[in-house]
Amino acid sequence: MHVFHIHYHNTQGTLMRILNAISRRAIEMPYVQAAPIKTGLRVTVLLDVNPKQIGQLSRDWHAIVDVTDVRAGVPTPEMQELASEWTASPHPPASAGASVSIRTAMA
Amino acid sequence: MHRGAEITLQCLRAEGVDLVFGYPGGAIMPLYDALDGSGVRHILTRHEQGAVFAAEGYARVTGKVGVAMATSGPGATNLVTGIADAKMDSVPLVCVTGQVRSALIGTDAFQETDVFGLTLSLTKWSRLVKTLEEIPDVIAEGFHWARSGRPGPVMIDIPTDLLKAKMEFGGPKKFKPHARPSDNHGESTFGETLITLLEQARKPVALVGAGAKLSGAISELRKLLDHLQVPTFATVHGLGAVDPEKPYYLGMVGMHGTRAANMALHDTDLLLVFGARLDDRVTGDPSRFAPNARIVHFEVDPAQLDRVRACELPIIGDLSETVPACHDALRHVKLPDWSGWRSVACGADRAELDPRGLAQPTIRFLDELFSRLPEDSVILADVGQHQMWAAQRYHSSSPRGFITSGGLGAMGFALPAAIGVQLAKPGTTVLCVSGDGGFQMNIQELATVHRLGLPIKMVIVDNKYLGMVRQWQQLFYQRNYAETDLSDNPDFVAIAKAYKIHGQRIGEEAVREFPVAKETGDELDRFLNSPDPELLVFDTAPEANVYPMVPAGAALSEMLFEEE
Repeated sequence: MHVFHIHYHNTQGTLMRILNAISRRAIEMPYVQAAPIKTGLRVTVLLDVNPKQIGQLSRDWHAIVDVTDVRAGVPTPEMQELASEWTASPHPPASAGASVSIRTAMA
Repeated sequence: MHRGAEITLQCLRAEGVDLVFGYPGGAIMPLYDALDGSGVRHILTRHEQGAVFAAEGYARVTGKVGVAMATSGPGATNLVTGIADAKMDSVPLVCVTGQVRSALIGTDAFQETDVFGLTLSLTKWSRLVKTLEEIPDVIAEGFHWARSGRPGPVMIDIPTDLLKAKMEFGGPKKFKPHARPSDNHGESTFGETLITLLEQARKPVALVGAGAKLSGAISELRKLLDHLQVPTFATVHGLGAVDPEKPYYLGMVGMHGTRAANMALHDTDLLLVFGARLDDRVTGDPSRFAPNARIVHFEVDPAQLDRVRACELPIIGDLSETVPACHDALRHVKLPDWSGWRSVACGADRAELDPRGLAQPTIRFLDELFSRLPEDSVILADVGQHQMWAAQRYHSSSPRGFITSGGLGAMGFALPAAIGVQLAKPGTTVLCVSGDGGFQMNIQELATVHRLGLPIKMVIVDNKYLGMVRQWQQLFYQRNYAETDLSDNPDFVAIAKAYKIHGQRIGEEAVREFPVAKETGDELDRFLNSPDPELLVFDTAPEANVYPMVPAGAALSEMLFEEE
């Protein structure tokens, strides 16, 4: 199981687009919670995903107009009750990531 | 005071829209009522799918945003295939739909569908408008997202009461997007890495996709390719981006690509990708795709990177900026001598085989037609065998000269899309190539062609089968031709006549000779040069197949060339 935090502006349909990226792949999602934060909203999801799906999801989330950031996270005690095991995820792929990485050269 | 409908149309005009495609109905009626005198010309198609494909055709050939309009419920749901098509092929498209009045939303009212929810996974951005005041902002933002970055479809759903309501209108708005951390384009350090990769490469190749056209980087890209002189090939949407006369150009790559292109892509150790998303029709088995290659990916949309496997050097940005920057970085660099590799990849041993077998007459027919077209012509291909034959035989350097539904593969696309193309380019020869299956999926648009007097040249390659499905049934399902037989096709010429369009048939025997007999040549010239719409039905062998073919799940090097 992997945990992700997706930050977004609270515009029409943005949360659904984030969740659609998960549901279209029939990925198990035992935990989801959306909550306001200083800069907008954040949805936290616990997912049963493989590394390839992590890359796909991260890129799809970043392609959503009002998504501002995608981060890998750690489970809360509440989540740990729902997850059989938790795997630390690497930061979402650099090429799709919010931060400039050494691997991502841009003009 | 202005009605919401008038405000909507004024905002469309402010975005440069002077042509929309649509079909009226209850909830969108106020918008139709306001059309007269708005400066927006409306094209009535005979089905909403025809409208959205026509808007796509207009957008694909011009690079501008195409606009389709429809009413709520079935009108809106009929747009969905076109929206999906626009997403897959990165077409800037705005769909405006009427919705039931605000008070009825959520009550399962007559002709109510949740088109906003229905299209969430297909659109780049969408809005269900809630107040009259927000219409100008929504339209401005919608057009921004439709045309920015990787272009795509936008849906704007407006309840009918808002279209009828009135308010003071201060004029259209401009949209300024909020900055995202990912918009930070960082340092321009890719030049050194790219040079290192090129210096280490022994078998570099270049793959050109639709992004090269969408970004308007054709001229810069051609200069860069001339500088590199590496074996180069194109996706189906990249056709026309590279001058086909260049000695390093190998044609189309992928499932029905040329032998030389697929072999070069399989053998390469450095793959330069210019605006292509590397979908499965291009890669074959992803696990065996270009197994020895390092990848340099020029791409505007980070979501397209690393889909097959991680690329060595992602170069994110509009190709109109990144390609010249790349050329500048390489201008004074002494590149390795790749002439040996080039002579292997582009040499006679890998040259395209002469077409043989049952498909030969169709290929010759298309060659005869294409060779008679002016250079600035636009060819539209529907979906199926004829699409791949047309793509294989397309040898023009007109970047927007070959248009097809590539990603979604939506049969019925070509005829309505040709309407949009012909309206956008009234003086241009527009050739629409369909199969007998796909033509019947939007055959009603013959009425639109006739009403507008559009001189579209329509070809049906009639093999009396759903040919591509039948080909797969033949090759992979032991010739079990389940439900692909169309031998009871209607008389297409008689149907055209019913729509007051001249039609005629031509058989394979007319193109058996090479060159074709003078009478046949004259007939093809008359067909292409007619000032009116024309239909030409080409009767071809039922079991002709498209080759080369990379079977699904095979590597690009495992092409089939002919039936055993």
